[in-house]
This record gives sequence, structure tokens and C-alpha cells, in this order.
Amino acid sequence: MDFLNSNLLTILILIPLVGAVLTLAHQAFWKQESQLKWLTLGFTLLNFLVSLAMFSTSAKPGASGFLFEQNVPWIKAINTNYHIGVDGLSFWLLILTTFIMPIAVISTWNAVEKRPTAFYVFLLLLESAMIGVFVSLDLLVFYLFFEASLIPMFFLIGVWGGQNRIYAAVKFFIFTAIGSLLMLVAIIALFFIYADQTGLGGSFDLPSILNAMKAGNLVLAPQTGMLLFLAFALAFSIKVPVFPFHTWLPDAHTEAPTAGSVILAAVLLKMGTYGLMRFNFALFPDQARETAWIFITLAIIGIIYGALVAMVQPDVKRLVAYSSVAHMGFVILGMFSFTEAGMQGALFTMLAHGVTTGALFLLVGFIYERRHTREITQFGGISNVMPIYATVFVITTMASVGLPFLNGFVGEFLIMVGMFQSQVLSVTAAANWNYIAAMFAGTGVIFAAVYLLWMVQRVFFGKLANAKNKGLEDLSWREIGLMIPLLALMVYMGVFPRPFLARSEDAVKAIKERVMHQAGGSIEKTELKPDAAADQH
Amino acid sequence: MTENNLLSLIIFAPLTGAVINWLIGGRLKNEAFSGLVACGSILVSTIVAFYLAFVANGGALFIEHPVLDHIWTWIQVGSFRADFALGMDPLSGIYACFITFVGLLIHIFATGYMHGDKGFYRFFAYLNLFMFAMLTLVLADNYLLMFVGWEGVGLCSYLLIGYYTKKNEAREAAKKAFVMNRIGDWGVLVGMFLIFTLTGTLSFFDKTVDGTQVQSVFSFVLANMSVEPFTWGAIIAGGLTSVGMLLFVGATGKSAQIPLLTWLPDAMAGPTPVSALIHAATMVTAGVYLVVRSNAIYQLAPTAMWIIAVIGAATAIFAASIAIAQNDIKKVLAYSTVSQLGFMFLAAGVGAFTVAIFHVMTHAFFKALLFLGSGSVIHGMHHEQDMRRMGNLKKYMPITFITMATGWLAICGIPIWAGFFSKDEILYKTFAADKYFPAGKFPGEEILWGIAVFTAILTAVYMTRMMVMTFWGEERFHHEIDAPHHDDTHDEHNDAQVHDDDEEEHHHIPHDFKPHESPWVMTIPLIILAFLSTAGGLVGVPYAMSSLVGVKNANTFEHTLEPVIAETRMESAVAARENAKSHAPEVVQKERLLAGLSVVMAVIGIAIGWFAFRNNPLRKMPKILEQKWKLDELYNGFIVDPITRLSRERLWKGFDLGFIDGIVNGIGGFVMEFGDLVRRTQVGFVRSYAAIIVIGALALVGYFIYYGLKLVG
Repeated sequence: MDFLNSNLLTILILIPLVGAVLTLAHQAFWKQESQLKWLTLGFTLLNFLVSLAMFSTSAKPGASGFLFEQNVPWIKAINTNYHIGVDGLSFWLLILTTFIMPIAVISTWNAVEKRPTAFYVFLLLLESAMIGVFVSLDLLVFYLFFEASLIPMFFLIGVWGGQNRIYAAVKFFIFTAIGSLLMLVAIIALFFIYADQTGLGGSFDLPSILNAMKAGNLVLAPQTGMLLFLAFALAFSIKVPVFPFHTWLPDAHTEAPTAGSVILAAVLLKMGTYGLMRFNFALFPDQARETAWIFITLAIIGIIYGALVAMVQPDVKRLVAYSSVAHMGFVILGMFSFTEAGMQGALFTMLAHGVTTGALFLLVGFIYERRHTREITQFGGISNVMPIYATVFVITTMASVGLPFLNGFVGEFLIMVGMFQSQVLSVTAAANWNYIAAMFAGTGVIFAAVYLLWMVQRVFFGKLANAKNKGLEDLSWREIGLMIPLLALMVYMGVFPRPFLARSEDAVKAIKERVMHQAGGSIEKTELKPDAAADQH
Repeated sequence: MTENNLLSLIIFAPLTGAVINWLIGGRLKNEAFSGLVACGSILVSTIVAFYLAFVANGGALFIEHPVLDHIWTWIQVGSFRADFALGMDPLSGIYACFITFVGLLIHIFATGYMHGDKGFYRFFAYLNLFMFAMLTLVLADNYLLMFVGWEGVGLCSYLLIGYYTKKNEAREAAKKAFVMNRIGDWGVLVGMFLIFTLTGTLSFFDKTVDGTQVQSVFSFVLANMSVEPFTWGAIIAGGLTSVGMLLFVGATGKSAQIPLLTWLPDAMAGPTPVSALIHAATMVTAGVYLVVRSNAIYQLAPTAMWIIAVIGAATAIFAASIAIAQNDIKKVLAYSTVSQLGFMFLAAGVGAFTVAIFHVMTHAFFKALLFLGSGSVIHGMHHEQDMRRMGNLKKYMPITFITMATGWLAICGIPIWAGFFSKDEILYKTFAADKYFPAGKFPGEEILWGIAVFTAILTAVYMTRMMVMTFWGEERFHHEIDAPHHDDTHDEHNDAQVHDDDEEEHHHIPHDFKPHESPWVMTIPLIILAFLSTAGGLVGVPYAMSSLVGVKNANTFEHTLEPVIAETRMESAVAARENAKSHAPEVVQKERLLAGLSVVMAVIGIAIGWFAFRNNPLRKMPKILEQKWKLDELYNGFIVDPITRLSRERLWKGFDLGFIDGIVNGIGGFVMEFGDLVRRTQVGFVRSYAAIIVIGALALVGYFIYYGLKLVG
């Protein structure tokens, strides 16, 4: 047990990596391509099961307050440590990653014809990298994982994608690489500033840097701080993506193979929002607060813009991709409200969006495998030939629309509560801009219903319009089996959200404290006391 | 505080029924099984609801504190909490009783009406799910859980309107209903946030949960907030008036008031029992429930109340004017429902909250009756809904005729029938709004009263027209209609499911066709509802009437609901309460006079309807009324189409593809051309691109590190 507790995260990173090597070896010696998917599924499932050990209550927080913490010197010359750990921010994201991987693998069951070995190896490498991103506490190690996750996805899109795959892959790469390069600069700058001010030599260690900041040993000049903040923020904003950096997403999603889209939506986008919370808020609280109005504005534009553009998409997958822009807008909004409700809601929405949008991409994949098209006009009346498919699709849509008791509602509701309570935007006698922001964000609720239901109506209901759809087979047992855990989660998270929220409570409070502490006062509105209000009489 | 865990049985019984029908009913495909499960589960709810309302712990309707049932804590973050908890007080008790009872009757009716439909089990699964959501809505003990039910009924309404999935009209209507409801939901959502920000709670009742004291929104409001000014500015001031307006936005969506009313008539594309249950008796009155539930807030927000009254009156007359020119029997009833809902909001707006609920209840009886009656007619007429092809049905369908006639008298407001007492009280309270308005002087009461009276006449006219066209006159079963024939509007519940061909379904009535009376499972619910429409109003006879026959305390209904109406300390509200209790002779005299007047109006309306349409049932009506004042065209032309165009041409193609991608492609093209020059390779496409990118990236990294070092250095 002790061994597991102290090495759990490393094991989680290693299992897919070892799996990738073994898969390659297996192919080199036996050339049994039909066994590839089983091997990959085995490794991802194993990883999921091992990741459940994180629920163990016997784990004690490590030196920096993280669970399953490990801190081993790596490159002495530049003082880089292999420092990993997990806390409330990353806990569920890790589980989400290990949970979604087997599902993504099963979704490829009959879909990979070209170079299957490479495909599955890339999937496994991707999983290692994603887990690494969520557990790294050393900036350089984080950066390496962050970049490493890019490469397998680049190839997944570029080799196994649709017609415009090259364009989409290159676009994906250019957008994200440019952003993260600036982040690397910022990381290195931070290293030298740390060395300069503390006299302890440079450091990439997040907890050490934070401690130095809190102790006042490391003070960033406002201008430097802002530059560094922006470098980090740009990298993450592109990843999220925040409007107007979003145009890589529809192309990447549309061209990627189903498994790629699922992972992209469920996990890769979350690396952006996670990064903002973990690094931007913690390292540069002042700047985060000062720029909050920009991010809130962009988030609201993203919510409305994403929804409006989703509405007019002729391609189902592109529509779902634009809906991601809207959903991630909510996440950004909640985070930058700097309230407990808003940030908790943001974390919850990250999970909910991962499950729901992942499910939507799977569903789109199902129909694509049958008809080799995703044009909405090619369909109509599909519920007549595929009733189970239609049912599952409608339930998933409802979760995405934010129907109460399904997972989409809880997060978005909390985000808007948080925005209403927030005082991060100016409050004047004429207008409370926090209210106005929340009200505008709320219109996303209407638009989500419009674009999703319109699509559902055109694809599923009415008479069977296209003769080509007549012979479509309903979902197979494999496909149903794939959807059941996702559907169950949508309901469970919607009805019993507290276990999910409880895990992240302390971490969120700590970050909120951090941002508030630097403000020298309370950001959250003091509650209206009965006595105070009674004076109005 | 009384705890009773039976309360949750009321909502979970229908949920269980829905699940059983969905999972098992779908396999068995046995109508007896599905019908039994569905009706049985509602029967359980009905018995428990009545038991809790009238018997257990002295009856929730009569005791001072609500009966509560805490099930689990749903969301808790920081100071925000929302429980999954139910509460029954007189208001939710009355609602629960009539929802379960009328719901039970409609379920029974539907087993006959939907007989032979391929999706029988699916229909009842949806219907049970609706009952679950509706009962959650009214029994919820806080705004958030109420909102769950609110969204749930919206979803079920969506599913049931679109039940005949092959009809294009049905799927359009379903989407429209959902979207319009969602616009309203935005108001409820934002209203809730504002309530929470102002009061720090969302609970309806003061209670103790797990040792923590939870204060209700209303007791907080009464204790800590005072009446807001009667000005336009109050609407955007972020106080109670803003809350009131936001919640009312939700109510206009759910209860089809101006401007969000166009979905309800379209919703008639669903099966008729659905129209009766959801779009007449229960769901559409949820908006009234919300307003009355929040009466403590509204009493302190006179601007909001005034607007509610004005919108209510405007909707009432607007919808009534359209109803008069419709030829589809269900459309007449749909616009009539919109109009009656307007009356309810008028009542709530002038501060007669109990009367609004009274009208909700009587309306549930007679409108459910009329809808089921129309369903029986449609059933007997081989799925014909156009009244121009009916006539003289009283000969063939006597039970349907007699029961519908009682509903007709009830809605017209003929004394002793249920609609008379409730509608008359609305008229009187509007007339005397100055005296009874809790927030004081009510500007424009005479105009609203005039509109209401005129609407009452119109109501009698269009209902008489409907009755005459359907049941009297000559038989017009094969009448050719010159107007563009629209098959889609038929309630083709068998046709849509049985015939799987893609051919457009054509409607043929055989030449030897004779309408027939419906089976007993359909007529018995009609008879029971006819009885309720006749005698149901007697629980709320106002003093001015009952004293005529020497009974002093006949208004049990108002008396029961009194604890729900917040007693604010405003002078005007205290005076209004005094006024209502005093029964001064001249006031009583005036009320009797007005009642007499409204009876005369009803009779005039019926007479107009009779003489105008008895001998000329196909009389041409003004085109603009038939076309519903072109409201749909207005919305499409000025809102829907421009937004769609903007999204497609400007945002997507202009900004995304044109502007942003233009920049990126420009850069990308440059990099690739450059790469091509430097390194012409024969290796595969992707690898060469990757190599170029990696080299480019390394160069960039090098540059930035150099620059970064200088910056720090």
C-alpha cells in the first residue's frame, strides 16, 4: 500500500508508456494487428483501475500539501525536479482522463484501417502526456508534458483524419505551439527572477516559487508580472480556446478521428482552463484580477458567439465543436468570477463538458461510420430507423443544453450564481456590471436550446427523407455499452453533484484566498445581514 | 414543522411508472399493462396527495405550518445551498390535489384515446414523467427545485408535442415550445440569482435541516425589505421589482402570455390528452403558481404587479379575438386557454392572488373537460379537427355533447357553474383594484376592467360559435374547404404510426361515414369533469353571493389559501385586508350589481354567438384574426431570420473563416512556402510538415530564450 501511495502517479504515467513500448514490441515480433486494440484497451483499462486507488483514504499529503506527492531531483544543472502531486483541482480531471481513454479506444474498434500500430501507440503516448500535465508541479516538467501531448494529437489528426486533415493538423499545431512557446519563455524568465531575488539559485518548482512569493521574498514588478501573466494566459487561452483564438478547434474536431475528437474535447481543452487556475491565478493573482474584465468579456462573447455560429453549421460535428466554444466560455467566466461558487462551477463544468461533449462526438462518430457524412441535410427522420440511437442522442443533448438533474446544469448554474455574487467587475450606482455579465451569460441557456434542438429536429424527426438512410442499423451492443457509463455519469453528476464538488472545495478556497489575499480585501460580497437591511425601514 | 415522508411518494410514484413503462412496457407492448402501470401510479399519487392535504396531521390545507420532506441536499457550495426537499402548504396542496385528480382522469381517458397507437407505452412513459415533473414543480420547497420541475415539464411538453415524430408540424411546434419556454427560463434563472443575492436563501419555508436554520425568502423579505417605488426605474434597480419582472418573464414563457404566447396554439399538434393535461389544466398554470408563490415579493413591487395585470388583460383580449376566427376545434380551445391564463394574471396583478388560484382550479376542470370533449369529438370524427366539417354531432355523441355543454356554460360564466364564481371575482377585484391592491392606488383599473368585461363577452361568443359549429346545424362531414388544405394539422395518432410509407397521408372520410360516441373509458372522465365544472366553484363562493341565500362563510377556498398570502405591514395592504373582511353593505351591493352585470354580459355573448352562427356556421371571419394578427410572421421576419443571417454571413463566414483564418492561413502559407524552398524532401507529407514546424519552433524557442535572458539579465 505504501509503495502504491508513494508512486501512484508515476505508475499512472508509466502504464500507458510501457504499454506503448510493449505494443510496438508485440507488433515487431508477432505482427498480430487484430490484437492491437485489445492490448491498448487492456492498458487503458488497467490505468483506469489503478487510478481509482486515488480514492484511497490512507494517503497523506506530502511536503507541499499535495496527495501522492513525489519529488525527485531530475536535472541538477538547472535545478529541475520530477515533482508531481495531485489536489482538488486535478483530482477529477485525472480520473476523467483515465476514464475517457478506454472509451475512446473502444470507439475505434472497427474504424482504424491505416497503420493501426502507430495509431494505438499514439493514443497511449497521449494518455501518458495528459496525465503528466495534470500532476506536474514543476514548471519545466509541466511544459514538457504540455508540449508532449501536442505531438500525438497532431499525428492523430494529420494521419487518421478526414479530407482536410493536413490543414487542420497544421493549424492545430501552429496555434497551440505559438502559445506554448511564449509560456516557455515566461517559465525561464521566472526561473531567473527567482534566482535573482531569493539568491537560492533558479527554480522551476511551483510550490517553492509560491512560497517565496507568499513570504515576500519574490516580488514581481507589475510590468514584468503582467508580461509573464500574458505569456502563460495566451498559451492556455489558445488551448481552451478563448474567443478569438478558437478557430483551430472546429477544424481540428471535424477532421480528427472520433477517438481524437473525444479526447480533444474531454481532456485536451481542459488543460487550458486547468493551467489558468493552477498557474496564472496562483502565480499572478494581481494580474489575474486586473485582467478579469477582459476574460469575462471574451467569455461572454464566446458563449454567445459560439452558440450563434453553432446554430448555422451544416455539419453536425462542427456544430458540436462550436458548442464547445460556448461551454468553455462558461468555464472561463466562472473561474474569473473569483467566487467559490463560480470556480467550483467552472471545475464541475469542465468535468460535465468532458463527459457530455465526449459522448456527443462518439454519437456523431457512430452515424459517420454508417453513412460517411455528417451533413445535417443528408439526414431527417433518423429516429424511425434508429430509435435507440435517437433516444441516447436526445438525452445527451439535454445534458448539454443544461437540463436540471443532468450534469450540464449544476456547473453552469453555479457559475452564474458565482458571477452574480462576484465583485470583480465594477459596481456603480447606475449598474452592477457583475449582474449584467451574469445576465448576458444566461442567454447562453436559450441559445444552447436553439442550436441543439434545431439540429436534433432536423436529423432525427420528421419523415425519413433520404432513401440512403433506410437501411441504417441501430446501435450495436458495443456502441450501447460505450454510452451506458457516459449516460450514467450524466445523471449521477446531475443528481448527486456533492461528491464531485467536495473534492475540489479546499483547493478552490485556497486559490480564491490567494487571489483575494493579494487584493488586500474581500472580493466576495459581504452577505446582507438582516439587521443591516432592516435599517431601510 | 411537520415531517412526512409520504410526501415524496407523490412525486416518485409517477417516476416509477415512467421507468417501468419505458423499460418493461417497451418490451411487452401490451396496452393493458402500460395503461395499468400509468394510471395506477397516478392513483397512488392522488390518494397520497388527498390524504396529506385533508387527513394526515390535521390536513396540510388546514394547519399553520407546511408539511415538509427533506430528501437530500442537492447542491451546497459556500453559502449557497439547495435541497431536494418537498413541502406541502395550502397552495401546493391545492395544486397537488387537482393535478393528481385531473391527471388521473386524463390518464384514464388517454387509455381509450391512444388505443391502437404503436407508441402506447412511450406515450404513457412521457405522460408519467410529466406528472413527476409537474408535481415536483408545485411541491418543491425552494426555487431551485421548483426550477427543476419547471424545466422538466418543459422537456416533457417538448417530447409530447413532438410525439407524432413524423409530422413536420409537430416537430416544429415542439422545438418552438421548448425555445420559447427557455427564453422564459432565462428570466427565472436570473431572477433566482437575484433573489439569492438579495436574501441569501432560495427556500420557500422556514425550516431546520441537519441542525441548520434555513430562513425562507419570504420571511426575509417581509422582515427586512420595504415597498419599492411605483416607477419605471424600479424595474432595473436590481431590487424586488427587478426580481418580480424577471420571474414574470419566466411566467410569460410557461403560461403563454404576451409576448411569448405563440407556442401554445402550435402545441396542439400533440395528442389531445396532452393538450388537456399539459396545455390547459396544469403546466401552463405554473406561471400563475410562481407569481402567487412569490406574492410576498410582488406585494412590495407595485410596478411589477401593475405590469402583470396589464399584460394579463392584454393577452386575454388578444387571444380571445383570435379564438373567434379559428376553425380547428383545438385551436379555439388553445387560444381560449391563453385568454383565460390572461385572466389569471390579471387577478394576480391586481393583488387578488387567491382568486387567481381559484380560477386556475376551476379552469383546470372546465378546460380539461372541453379538451377531452374535443378529443372525444375528434375520435368520433375519424380524426377530423376542422369544425367546418362537423355539425349536428349532438345526435351522434350525446354524452360528449351534454358534458361539453356544461363546460361551455362554465367558461361563459353562467351562475352556479364553476367558471362564474372565479371569473366574476376577477372582474370585481379588477374593478375595485384601488381598494384591494396591496400596494395602494392602482392606475387604469377602469380600463382593465372594461377590457376584461369585453373579453368575457368575446369568450361567450367564441365558445358558442364552437359549440354551434360542432353540435348543431346540418351535417357537413364531406364539406369541401376551399382554403389550402393542410393535412398536417390533423391529430393523426393512428395514421402516423401505422403507415410507414413516405407518402403524404391523405385524409378521407368514407361516404357512408357516421360519427360514433366514444367508449366508456373516455366518457366517464368527461362525466366526472362535467360534475366538477358544475359544482366545483361552490367551494369559493364569495360573501356577496352566499349571503344572498343566508350563508355567511362559504368562501372556504379563500380562507384556506389565506396563510399563503404574505401579510405585509404596509398601510395600504393593511387597509386592503380590512376592506376585504368588512363586508360593508354598500360594497356587497356593488359586488352583487357587478355580478349581475357580468351574467348579463355572458348571456349577451351567448346570444350573439347563437344568432350569428346558428344558421350560418361557416360565416367568414376577418382574415387578420384567422391569421393570428400575423404574429409568427412578425417574429420570424424581425427576430429569427436576421439573427440567422447575421450568424451565418457575418460571424461564421465573415469573422471566423474570413478574418481570423485569413490571418492564420497567411502566416501558415508563408511558413510553408519558406519551408518548401529550404527543404524539398521526398518523405511523406505529414512528416515533412512536422519537420518544418519543429525546426521553426526550435528557432522561435531559441529567439525567445535569448530575448528572455536579456529581459531578466
